[in-house]
Amino acid sequence: MNENSYDAIVVGTGISGGWAAKELTEKGLKTLVLDRGRMVRHVQDYPTATTDMWDFPYAGRATAEEMKRHETAARTGYAITQATKHWWVDDTEFPYTEKQRFDWIRGYHVGGRSIMWGRQSYRWSPMDFEANAKDGIAVDWPIRYDDLAPWYDHVEQFIGVSGQNEGSAQLPDGKFLPPMEMNCVEKHFKQQVSDKMGRLVTIGRVAHLTAPLAHSPQRGTCQYRNMCIRGCPYGAYFSSQSSTLPAAEKTGNMTLKPNSIVYEIIYDEKKERATGVRVLDAETRQQTDYFAKVIFLCASTFGSTYIMMNSTSSRFPNGFGNDSGELGCNIMDHQLEIGARAMVDGFDDKYYTGRRPNGIYIPRYRNVGKDKRDYLRGFGYQGGASRGGWTGLMLDTKIGEELKDRAAEPGPWYMGLGGFGEILPYHENRVTMDTSKKDKYGMPVLAFDAVLRQNELAMRKDMANDAAEMLEAAGYRNVRSYDREMGIGLGIHEMGTARMGRDPKTSVLNAFNQVHACKNVYVTDGSCMTSAACQNPSLTYMALTARACNHAVEELKRMNI
Amino acid sequence: MSLDNMNRRQVLQRVAYLMGGAVSAPAVLGLLNGCAPKQEASNWQPVFFSKEQGAIVAEVADIIIPRTKTPGAKDVGVPGFIDTMLKDVYEQDDRDRYLAGLKEFDDAARKAHGKPFVELSKAQQIEQVKQFNDDAIATELSYDPRPKNLKRPFILLTRELTLLGFFCSEPGATQVLQYVAVPGGFQACVPVTEAGNGKAWASEAMGRF
Repeated sequence: MNENSYDAIVVGTGISGGWAAKELTEKGLKTLVLDRGRMVRHVQDYPTATTDMWDFPYAGRATAEEMKRHETAARTGYAITQATKHWWVDDTEFPYTEKQRFDWIRGYHVGGRSIMWGRQSYRWSPMDFEANAKDGIAVDWPIRYDDLAPWYDHVEQFIGVSGQNEGSAQLPDGKFLPPMEMNCVEKHFKQQVSDKMGRLVTIGRVAHLTAPLAHSPQRGTCQYRNMCIRGCPYGAYFSSQSSTLPAAEKTGNMTLKPNSIVYEIIYDEKKERATGVRVLDAETRQQTDYFAKVIFLCASTFGSTYIMMNSTSSRFPNGFGNDSGELGCNIMDHQLEIGARAMVDGFDDKYYTGRRPNGIYIPRYRNVGKDKRDYLRGFGYQGGASRGGWTGLMLDTKIGEELKDRAAEPGPWYMGLGGFGEILPYHENRVTMDTSKKDKYGMPVLAFDAVLRQNELAMRKDMANDAAEMLEAAGYRNVRSYDREMGIGLGIHEMGTARMGRDPKTSVLNAFNQVHACKNVYVTDGSCMTSAACQNPSLTYMALTARACNHAVEELKRMNI
Repeated sequence: MSLDNMNRRQVLQRVAYLMGGAVSAPAVLGLLNGCAPKQEASNWQPVFFSKEQGAIVAEVADIIIPRTKTPGAKDVGVPGFIDTMLKDVYEQDDRDRYLAGLKEFDDAARKAHGKPFVELSKAQQIEQVKQFNDDAIATELSYDPRPKNLKRPFILLTRELTLLGFFCSEPGATQVLQYVAVPGGFQACVPVTEAGNGKAWASEAMGRF
């Protein structure tokens, strides 16, 4: 065994990779954990975590030049600011090709997008795992809710998820820390929507500590600053840095190497197994091979897919594990940029203190039970109520002292709802390699070709109308719905390009996230997803990763891999 | 020590440094409460604007947010802020349009009073700002639907940047509005009078408003 040999290799340190690192090292495997980006140490490498807004230049806005360097992340409208610009990939160094607008919003550093994620954490329901089989869409999930339920328990209890159990069939209960509170308007809205429409409104379920976690004493509770995206100096929300990487570090079994770009899986045709990975050092450009008994690809959906497409051999001429031809196909995300907003009267004497980093959630109700629509699946809403401020005075004609006095008073209440809709898996929505363009390291880039199709567009009508209808039912005024253009990817919930399935002829991974044709390679990031549901997917990636790690360790013990 | 305290201490040290170190704690606290403009505010040298253009922008900004019991736009450095924003955050066509609008604005003063804007009486200046402000707002409100890439005229871009620069400044955020760096908890529903000092909470604004 040479010095570059380990029991396991984990590629990526984001939400999935951090979990793989924790689980494998805690089960005793000597694990090499690789990330293509720079090292980010917890707290000390969050350069803006405690900066007050007046200490940023440009009132925190990005310069024109910065907006160009981060052109795709800037499409979110929130990602590129003086407080956050250092987390996002420079598109001029790492370009990609988009046949139609495609928003690939990346963070290349240790911790990945676990630092900048939205922290909303929802279980999928039995309905979601059964949907493809029931509708005859794509392929069936090879697992059901019951297979994953104990792993949801496991990850929720470790990361800490604040939420309210509601007994909803389409949004299963979990192991929650105390819920955050709704403000007065949100409570009113919840009651109205329940009374008039029979729909559930619940407080968002978020990976924030609202109470200490006995097993992670290094993490503090939420201080309600709502500056999470900068990195939390209290470790109050889940990130790889605050939670899983420290657990892996504690075992003494982890070797973490940043600046390590995995570009190929090494496949041994005689042994019919993967033996390791090829790594390009992002700083020295030196190439090194690392070896292990088992490999976990957790490099993000398109990151892992890229590595597989780039790993060709006589056994896998079309990309690693791609006997089915499905690698790179079935791109999914959640459709958003659609919803409604209204003004709310009657609460002008009420306000709040603290900045709650969370909103309300309305679980899916369309095509549930007796409800039948002219499209498949459904959507949920995230939203919330707050009082307006000085930005609402832009088109108020006041100037001078009058304007200052008005700005000092809390503004009107607004309630907003934004839809998150399911996108079906279409073979034609796909990513391929574009060898005509190269990144900073001379590597070929990805080319995306994906669009919203008829089912999604039909759903969008309900997403806008239903939001307006609920706000009207609650008695609010100036109800305005909106439907803005989006590129697939804008939800930053990209999924599906190495899907799980029962049949190696139509899927890339099996029920335990193993590559069908090479059982010692597991892929557990969003690429494994067989359908998209409408809930935020990160919690499901964590549960799938923990389950796959358990399987890998058992299989190693049984000498099956 | 909590981070909040650490920040406060850093602020105190910074202010003390600006004053040559020889200041008593109460004087420093007085400064934090906004008695003195920022150093850069009083010695501002325009980078993008000419001196004359900068002087017009400074007067307009200070009419939109004047000094009252609390500091005004000039006190917190809004003119310099607008200068830097146009130079680094905006694009060339925005800069061109802004300067053309600024010239029209000054020409209007000469046409009405035979004097450049900066030489008008305060009352005349306020009158002109009000008129441009009201007309431009009426025009923008009349759009239906609002154009996707709305290009705001000189007076409204000045208004937008004055509001942004002022309410994101420390005096604007902490004296006119209220701001707590580390709230420590969340009270979801309290009477306005019990929500801190009852003023609007300061918040960052990243998009157009």
